[in-house]
Amino acid sequence: MAEVVLRDLVRRYGEVVAVDRVSLTVADREFVTLLGPSGCGKSTTLAAIAGLERPTSGFLAVGGETFFDSRKQVFVEAEHRNLGLVFQSYALWPHKTVQENVAFPLQLRRIARNKQKELIHEALALVEMESFADRYPSQLSGGQQQRVALARTLVYKPKVLLLDEPLSNLDAKLRDRARTWLRHLQREVGITTIYVTHDQTEALSLSDRIAVMSKGRIAQLGTPHEIYERPADPFVADFIGTSNFFTGEVMEQASGRLVLRLADEQTITVEGGDGMARGSRATLAVRPERIHVGGGTAGSLLKGRITERAYMGARWLYTVEVGGQAVRVETEADLASGEVALGLPERDVAVFPAPAAG
Amino acid sequence: MATKIHAAPAASTGDLALPRSWRWRDPLLQYGIALACLLLVAAPILPIVYQSFIDRPIYEDGQALTLVNYANLVGAPEFREVLGNTLLFAFLSTVISQVVGLVTAILVGRTDVPWRRFFGDALLWTLFVSHLVLALGWVIMYGPSGYITGYVMQLTGGQPWNLYTIPGLSIAAGLSLAPLTYLYCIASATQQDPALEEAARVAGAGPFRILFSVTIPLLRPALVYSTILNFVIALEMLAMPLFLGGPVGLRFFTTFLYEQGFEAPVKDYGLVGAAAVVLLIVITLLVLLQNRLLRNAQRFVTVGGKASRPRLLRLGRLRWAAFAFLLLYFVFGTGAVILGLVLRAFTSFLSPLVPLVDTLTWDNWTFIFSYPVYVRSIVNTLEIALVGGALGTVFIALVALLVHRSRWRWRRQLEFVALYPRAIPGILVGLGAFYAVTLMPFLGGLRNTIWILVLIYIMRYLPTGFGAVAPTLMQIGQDLDRAARTAGADWWTTCRRILAGLIRPALLSCFAILFIHFIKEYSAAVFLYAPGSEVMGTVMLSFWAQGEAGPVAALAVLQILVVAVFVVVTRKLFKVKIYG
Ligand SMILES: Nc1ncnc2c1ncn2[C@@H]1O[C@H](COP(=O)(O)OP(=O)(O)O)[C@@H](O)[C@H]1O
Ligand SMILES: [Mg+2]
Repeated sequence: MAEVVLRDLVRRYGEVVAVDRVSLTVADREFVTLLGPSGCGKSTTLAAIAGLERPTSGFLAVGGETFFDSRKQVFVEAEHRNLGLVFQSYALWPHKTVQENVAFPLQLRRIARNKQKELIHEALALVEMESFADRYPSQLSGGQQQRVALARTLVYKPKVLLLDEPLSNLDAKLRDRARTWLRHLQREVGITTIYVTHDQTEALSLSDRIAVMSKGRIAQLGTPHEIYERPADPFVADFIGTSNFFTGEVMEQASGRLVLRLADEQTITVEGGDGMARGSRATLAVRPERIHVGGGTAGSLLKGRITERAYMGARWLYTVEVGGQAVRVETEADLASGEVALGLPERDVAVFPAPAAG
Repeated sequence: MATKIHAAPAASTGDLALPRSWRWRDPLLQYGIALACLLLVAAPILPIVYQSFIDRPIYEDGQALTLVNYANLVGAPEFREVLGNTLLFAFLSTVISQVVGLVTAILVGRTDVPWRRFFGDALLWTLFVSHLVLALGWVIMYGPSGYITGYVMQLTGGQPWNLYTIPGLSIAAGLSLAPLTYLYCIASATQQDPALEEAARVAGAGPFRILFSVTIPLLRPALVYSTILNFVIALEMLAMPLFLGGPVGLRFFTTFLYEQGFEAPVKDYGLVGAAAVVLLIVITLLVLLQNRLLRNAQRFVTVGGKASRPRLLRLGRLRWAAFAFLLLYFVFGTGAVILGLVLRAFTSFLSPLVPLVDTLTWDNWTFIFSYPVYVRSIVNTLEIALVGGALGTVFIALVALLVHRSRWRWRRQLEFVALYPRAIPGILVGLGAFYAVTLMPFLGGLRNTIWILVLIYIMRYLPTGFGAVAPTLMQIGQDLDRAARTAGADWWTTCRRILAGLIRPALLSCFAILFIHFIKEYSAAVFLYAPGSEVMGTVMLSFWAQGEAGPVAALAVLQILVVAVFVVVTRKLFKVKIYG
């Protein structure tokens, strides 16, 4: 059992709070992704779990063993944690061959020589790099280096696998394949995995659960489906996929429905918005592909004008001006510029209290 | 990428668990290294400071704290003279070194002067020769009865110049220091962004306008840095003031300390301590000032090449004038001085009045290889340079790893301690270590052996070696050691198994630099050598005074040869970088 528990973890650098009271429990064999824009504290969180950064305060345990507890002054150094970390830079030791790189953790563990050979072979086979054992890292491509880094980490069967943007240095095609491959590998090895990325596609396709981070905090924790369909705040709605936002005044909130009046007097009716007072301001987030051009479904109709159109292969992306605001709409229909009606569904729309002052 | 099925359950970590390692090892090593460094640096300083505040020699009983030493120092009739001479000498030699260094750097780095490649290398040669040896060469050639002086005297009939004056001494010292200025300026002159000059050119500026309004202002950080550096070196220089000022009774801070602390039959320990502390404070302040100025200027001073070379300034008709200047400077500033030593080493007597062929002899050489003190000094020097250089490299690497490659709490403070010896003149290192050995009985075993010299040489050149290792260490990505740490290696194992392999070239450079400095060093050894632990520098120093010019010159030539062979071999064989 290798469950990872973070409780109120904080890491400050002087004035900057890189990680701000992060609490998270990752179940045994679960694949959890920390997703967020650059600088939001993902790497720092991962480094704190690995033991490379000493958190300022909080609690951290892996597999029931406390690694950090600010109240009891416990801090276990990285080398005593037996976790595996794959770096964005791969961090292969340039003066050691692939084989020597993979052997190093085993030498530290004083594994017998023939057992070492067996384990190295097994790990390199797992990442399909057996034939490169005698190469130096500089003689490998980025994708190959990344797999060696993974083998070097998996070879000692760490309790938890930590991955910091492992695919971000690969080109787009390779990244897609590596993603699929990585997911298979994780299932196969059955290791608890915490994955860091700023790429939502990676996060959505790989993870059991996603923790969306913003400014050092976890903005939302949930399955990919939950995160996409029911974003907890406008930040998540915007960061995962794209969303159109409509902000206005709440006209009515009753029996699970909310009526919002926009600045140009048009109204939108949606499900949700429980507990929002009449007269308060609210924001709706609607995905571009959920908007029906020309109406057609149960829901609200908005009047707008197509100002821009772009063909994306199979689909069109329109920019529609509604009450002075640009709305992105994705559809298969080929429409001419000009007046258009937009149908907003009642469901699949996220409702948030409007952020104060702006 | 087909996936195969492997049975690798996560639960089977049992047999691959980390061995129970000794968690105290890292902290113990880290505190141990830092403590060793602190002791090494503090050991010579504290006794000097203490001595300056007590009323009797440091080894006598019944000491009482007092300020009387400082009062005596200020009241001493020679203090004013010493202070005035020292400041004037340091000022003049710094001005000379800066002007010559800057002009040569610009000519070689930025103009189309003929033979610039040759000069680019040759102007650095004096850096490999100790000031003691250079001083001997100056005396032999330009002293009152010098070879060249004699020639000119024959031509003109009168004494053409007097080297044994403060201006004469300043010229000799200034020309010996100029290569350092040249080194710092050439590095930033050749690294300047050509776009800056191109921009001025496009704006209609002529070549000389560009030189004075763009090129030289950009060199200002390198100039400021080397000005303070050379001023400090002039303040702490012993050999030139001793050999060129001593014969006519000119006294300077270092020669005063040398006479009072070493030669005087009745020594005033308190006075020596007070004078030493004053010198220490002055130099410390200068080094702190330099650090402050350097903090923003570091990028200008870095040594290392840039791919695109700036376009060279066309000198036109001045080209050959510039060439003549460089050639004269090289021939008379470096060439003649070395040639003088070589001539003296192979003659029984050197004078323009006697034909050379009549005086040629091997005697000096057979003498130094048969007379035990000379032989011992050669063997000792080589042993110190080899063993001390190796030990020093290891120790410096450990300190640098702790400073730049750990999260140890006091690493910033440790860096300060490791770099502090820059502010301690060599003669004070020796004096302080002498006191320390006298005071601490458990160091008695080191007394009168070369090992005490090994220790203080390492201490003296900690900052120099550190400078050779630290930049390389800082260039290595942090992830490489972080990867080792997560894989289960503690700090020490990471240093040994991962980092040591990555910094090998820097360690070789560090060793080479230490080796050269250890061969050259003399001032730190003055107070410490004893029968049996002589080094080449101290033998030259004491036997020159006894009039053994021939053998001393042979020893000096031998020292130059050893360094030259070493430099050529390490450069060729190991591609070691020494100076740029
Ligand atoms: N060593 C450090 N010193 C100071 N600030 C740091 C340090 N490391 C990270 N930070 C700051 O902490 C914040 C989070 O950084 P990081 O965890 O690397 O973000 P991410 O991995 O999500 O891009 C950033 O604002 C960064 O500038
Ligand atoms: Mg990051």
